[in-house]
Amino acid sequence: MRDGGSDAVALSVEGLTRRFGGLVAVDNVSFELPTKRLNAIIGPNGAGKTTLFNLISGEIRADAGRVRVHGQDISGLKPHQIVRRGVSRTLQIKSVFSGLTVAENVRTAVMAHEGLASPFRPAASYRAVSVRVDDLVAQVGLTPHLNTRASALSYGDIALLEIALALANEPKLLLLDEPVCGMGPQETEQAVAKIREIAESVDVVLIEHDMEVVFAVADEIIVMAQGAILARGTPAEISSSPEVQEAYLGAPEEAD
Amino acid sequence: MTAAGISRAAVVVLLAALIAVPLVLPMFGSSFWIDIVAEILIWSLLAASVNLLLGYVGLLSFGQALYFGVGMYGAALSVIHWGVGFWGGLAVGVVAAMVMAAIAGSVAVRLTWHYFAIITVVFSLILYFAAMSAKPLTGGDDGISFSAQSVLTLGGTKFTLADQSVQYYTILLVVAFCYALFALVVRSPLGVRFMAVRENDRRAALVGINVYLTRYTAFVLAGALAGASGALFAFFGRYASASYMFYHVSGEAVVWAIVGGAGSLLGPLFGTGLLIIFREIISAVWEHYLFAVGAITVLVVMFAPRGLAGAWSDLLDVMTRGKPPANVPPSSPSAAPGLPKRAADTTSGG
Amino acid sequence: MSALVLALAVNGLVWGLIIALIALGLSIIFGLLDIINVAHGDFFMLGTVVVLVLTVSTGSYWLALALVPLIGFAVGLVLERLIIRPTIRQASLTIVTTFGLSMMLQEGVRATYGAQPRRMAAPIEGTIPLFGIDYDVYRIFAAAFAALCLVAFFVFLTRTKLGTWIRAVRHDPETATALGVPVTRICAITFGLGTAMALLGGAIAAPITTVEFRTGVDILPFCFMAVIIGGLGNLQGTVAAAVLLAVFEGLVTSVTDPTIARIVSLGLMSVVLLVRPHGLFSGATR
Repeated sequence: MRDGGSDAVALSVEGLTRRFGGLVAVDNVSFELPTKRLNAIIGPNGAGKTTLFNLISGEIRADAGRVRVHGQDISGLKPHQIVRRGVSRTLQIKSVFSGLTVAENVRTAVMAHEGLASPFRPAASYRAVSVRVDDLVAQVGLTPHLNTRASALSYGDIALLEIALALANEPKLLLLDEPVCGMGPQETEQAVAKIREIAESVDVVLIEHDMEVVFAVADEIIVMAQGAILARGTPAEISSSPEVQEAYLGAPEEAD
Repeated sequence: MTAAGISRAAVVVLLAALIAVPLVLPMFGSSFWIDIVAEILIWSLLAASVNLLLGYVGLLSFGQALYFGVGMYGAALSVIHWGVGFWGGLAVGVVAAMVMAAIAGSVAVRLTWHYFAIITVVFSLILYFAAMSAKPLTGGDDGISFSAQSVLTLGGTKFTLADQSVQYYTILLVVAFCYALFALVVRSPLGVRFMAVRENDRRAALVGINVYLTRYTAFVLAGALAGASGALFAFFGRYASASYMFYHVSGEAVVWAIVGGAGSLLGPLFGTGLLIIFREIISAVWEHYLFAVGAITVLVVMFAPRGLAGAWSDLLDVMTRGKPPANVPPSSPSAAPGLPKRAADTTSGG
Repeated sequence: MSALVLALAVNGLVWGLIIALIALGLSIIFGLLDIINVAHGDFFMLGTVVVLVLTVSTGSYWLALALVPLIGFAVGLVLERLIIRPTIRQASLTIVTTFGLSMMLQEGVRATYGAQPRRMAAPIEGTIPLFGIDYDVYRIFAAAFAALCLVAFFVFLTRTKLGTWIRAVRHDPETATALGVPVTRICAITFGLGTAMALLGGAIAAPITTVEFRTGVDILPFCFMAVIIGGLGNLQGTVAAAVLLAVFEGLVTSVTDPTIARIVSLGLMSVVLLVRPHGLFSGATR
């Protein structure tokens, strides 16, 4: 069931609601994000940002509402089905296959995307997969660490590896949950550059606490508070909105 | 030589040694040990079934004896009632165990962590009690017995399991075939999925893997391994008994797998071998050898959670690099097989 | 006929209260240390053996009954330090460590005490008429004493500082640490307490059961059923489930094979695990 020309809409959320006991974590949220934009969602802790991502990626079931990606309804699907429909995400606490090497990590994701599950042929014998693995690793700049175990990588490199995993399904929409959280200044700079580069070919939505990063990369910002959307606009509009100032930006040094 | 090369050479040596067993042991007047080696091979498949779940998908099953028992009865009953012979009985045993695993697994793999361990024990206990009380069919504790089966008739010569060497080579053939299949599967794209689920089930789902289906597949395959083990043991002992379905048998298999090293293909074979040889030697002089087995179990978990396979891979590192591994990260795949630390919820997927 | 049914139900109640005590020990260990203690049944067995040995050597069951929980507490503390604490970080493998411990306990008792099953004379003799049949006075005492121990435990948990600390660590170990609760020591004490409760259960049950190295194997599944059906970590639920299950099995046994009763209980346990992993008595939400 699709309604109308959604080609220009990357992500459409309609009346999305999720309660935990008495708490409404996401409260009847609706918005549409245009394609070819780098969108950011900000908001204080407990605003419902990560729950919103969990609802979109299917890890939590919504109590009500629909989610469409490029016009395709993904509501109620399971996480692995949603991934196969071109929606990828990273997690706030970086999540990779830590006992496997970088190449094995990416190979796992590529094979999952290709739907490969043969029990008999050696996994290493799939030429096309190997080529794609090398490409993806190169794309995030981890080629020197190809055969390093993920658990031995630096924090910033783990974040990059996670992005490579998220890109393996050639996503139409990439959700990044606090991509620079926990990074040093230099790592942050590299990651921001990488995100910009990726956003040229993939629609990206990111949740971020680091306002400097948000205002540097985002074309448009959605501000959430208490499970609802408080404001929406360009970085300039958001930073000058008194409402947002009051609810969230409060501390001037954060607003920069 | 590379580490992989040494490992390959070691496998060849192992296979050659196993083939030589019935030729060499009688020279030392210890034909008795041929049967012990055969028994080790058979039980190692049960340990391998624990290993497939624990070492490759990260699920600790304490109920694999159930599928062992189903394989055992599948073989014994089909031989007794239908006269299907060795190969038929083996097939029936394996298929029956897979069917049982397919039924039990469909609900068991919805759980993870301790809950999975508990439900696998519970299922095996239910079937254990059922088998114990269904005496007319199963013979309960006493079991049911049958005669040694024929394996092959070649130009009028009948090869039967009554011949010790025929029995040994038949068992070796089946066990080697099972390990070859196991090796193939864990190196395949399916094996890649297994390890993804073991390492991080949330991320596995987020790269598009159906975690439930992956665990389920592994569970059914593990059931097949345990079933093959049980069927072979039925032919080896020429009987089947419900007592083999008790959870202590499952527990022993877990111990063998861990002592050998979960997450390595052949580790559990060595774990099984070590503990069975230990039993044979010590039990002759000390009635309470199980006390030592318990102590070994505790000590291995405390000091060498990667088991014999871990020691072997450290040795390989020394041989190929000339120094002990300086910074092997704690969560290497052959390290302590890790279930996810307490998952947020107990049900996953489905 | 109905007298027999009632007697079996009362028997179930007696056993249910004793098992509730043992299962409660299992439950607090699980709730606090996150480990599945497969050796718990063998702690019960150890209690039956120790009380028998002490009764013979001291000549008084009552003195032995008083000493057993203290011995159990000490045994628990030592085992926690030697075996549990070093392996607790591999949560999944604690099942394996305690399985090894279980083998050591069973074989250790068999090696020292012997393999011969023995019976112990009831310390209180005589019977009283109950629903038309003569019922052992000791069984009534056992039930009442077990119930008293259960009440005492809940009072300890809610009214003492140590009890409050135990509840705090159960609830949220990180916050408890931040508040200055000595978490490591609390874990050790909890394991000691859980062990003591299993041994005490054994000491109470010794005069009404056989004393041998294998009895733990039968008790363990029952304790797990009580803990699971009552809800992992739900202490009141554990007690309720233990009593209900024992009475249920007692009643079913009066009409059919006890094995059927056991199968039905285990089936119920699987359903609870799958449908309500937080137990039959938990609220709708967690």
